[in-house]
Amino acid sequence: MGQERFADIVERFASGYRDGAAAVDPDAARRWQEELERQVRRAQNLADMIGNPTDPKVGCTPREEIYRTNKSRLYRYRSRRSHRIPVLFVPNLGISRPYIFDLLPGGSFIEHMTGQGFDFYLLDWGVFGPEDNGLTFEDCVAKILPKMARKVLETSETDSLSVLGYCMGAPLSISFVASHPEVPVANYIDMAGPIDFSQIGLFGLWLDRRFFNVDRFVDTLGAVPADLVKAGFKLLKPTMDLSTNINLWWNSWNDKYVEGFNALNKWANEYVAFPGEFFRQWVRDFYQDNKLVRGELNFGGRPVRLSSVTCPLFVVGAREDYIAPPACVRALMDAVSSRDKEYIELPGGHISLIAGRGAALHCWPKVSGWLAPRSA
Amino acid sequence: MTDTGGSPQLFEMWKKQLEDGAQAWGKLFGQPAAAPPTDPMAFWRPLVEQWVQASARAFAQTPMTPDVMGQWKQFLDQSIDAWSKALGQVMNTEAFAQTLGRYLDQWLVTTAPMKKAAEQGIDQALQTLNLASRTQLTAVARQIVELEERVERIEDAVNAVLRAVQRGPDATPAPRERA
Repeated sequence: MGQERFADIVERFASGYRDGAAAVDPDAARRWQEELERQVRRAQNLADMIGNPTDPKVGCTPREEIYRTNKSRLYRYRSRRSHRIPVLFVPNLGISRPYIFDLLPGGSFIEHMTGQGFDFYLLDWGVFGPEDNGLTFEDCVAKILPKMARKVLETSETDSLSVLGYCMGAPLSISFVASHPEVPVANYIDMAGPIDFSQIGLFGLWLDRRFFNVDRFVDTLGAVPADLVKAGFKLLKPTMDLSTNINLWWNSWNDKYVEGFNALNKWANEYVAFPGEFFRQWVRDFYQDNKLVRGELNFGGRPVRLSSVTCPLFVVGAREDYIAPPACVRALMDAVSSRDKEYIELPGGHISLIAGRGAALHCWPKVSGWLAPRSA
Repeated sequence: MTDTGGSPQLFEMWKKQLEDGAQAWGKLFGQPAAAPPTDPMAFWRPLVEQWVQASARAFAQTPMTPDVMGQWKQFLDQSIDAWSKALGQVMNTEAFAQTLGRYLDQWLVTTAPMKKAAEQGIDQALQTLNLASRTQLTAVARQIVELEERVERIEDAVNAVLRAVQRGPDATPAPRERA
């Protein structure tokens, strides 16, 4: 075989053999070309991520701080306000930061809700230090949440509000709603919030009092450090990091994906510690004794009876949620006395229910769509 | 594009250098050794070879198109999913929960005295240097939090009085908020 020029090979690749005997399929050539371009983009984007990491700009929706108490803040996101009743959003305390709900412009739950004309209030519990180790679940329900609700009513100048609880924010906020019947809650939404802890899954088994001594844990450590919270969640899905990195490599040719990944990755690696007493009460009363569903809770001298909740109710579960499986979320439907109630189960997991493309497509419009006619 | 004829010469030179280098390395490592070196891969080699042969067969049967990448990704996803399910089943047993609980207990048993000793040591060192310890700073922070709560209660009471004054003397006083 004589010497070949590189240009000849390229020419054959692009145009095929002139006699047509071994011509390259133009469709295959085009796809190889696309794949090659993707590989180049992958290499460029991954090199950028490693060599020139940028801090993603998260939480861009304009907001104002309405109220603060200790580490907790109440933020108001104003809208053109086509709905009279404002929304108080109660997320989880500890574990993670709440900017996941306003991750990126065009991919933000808060931006969606304000875009739909809801005045949106976000309760940011804050990052607690050792001085807050005495803070309990009861304090949050009986002291902090009533103040937050009152501030929402005052600043929005309305006589009622809708409450939306996500994850641990749901048992927190429903305990508040159930124990404060005088607070005018017009609607309640539970998004992936565990209610019946007998169906909570792996965490329920691991935190069972036969295997986990919460008193020794809190008495020794004082608080639950962020690293331990992280270890617990990583253990829940040990293959998560591997599949996340493979998906990153696979999609790294896509600039939009990389932008979203950077923002989500920042959030996913920013764990927040639990105040010691809060964790003790959370594990003992909810995971170990399942007192919320049994109606055995008593916060601030007030009984927490889910059957006293009568406002319209919307419950959203995620099919692949292993933190709050759908069955334990759905339990709220049977526990309340509301006549106007609806449950939906959406594809995705605990996080993809509230953040990401799937959430924007499947979840957010359903939440705003259910709330809109009930917020006039 | 014209062929200058310089490239083959360069290529030949590079090839010769590579061959010479390979011979030199071969001579260096070709000396008889006192004992054969242990091969850490010996255990895994049959498995790896089997996997390579299976992959080669699979690739030989599949036409080489860009879809191969997608198929490979799908294979990876399915493998990870299978692993995840298998691990999930193991972790969802009382035996695993018991082991985890024992491990945590053991960790706490060893951590507690170490933590206490470290805290005492640091506190003593800071006291010697006439600096505030973490415990003292935490106590101050706690006092500030309590103070803030007290101010807030006073603020609420003042607001309640103001509202009552604005409503007039005949109006019934608003119920005090539970603290």
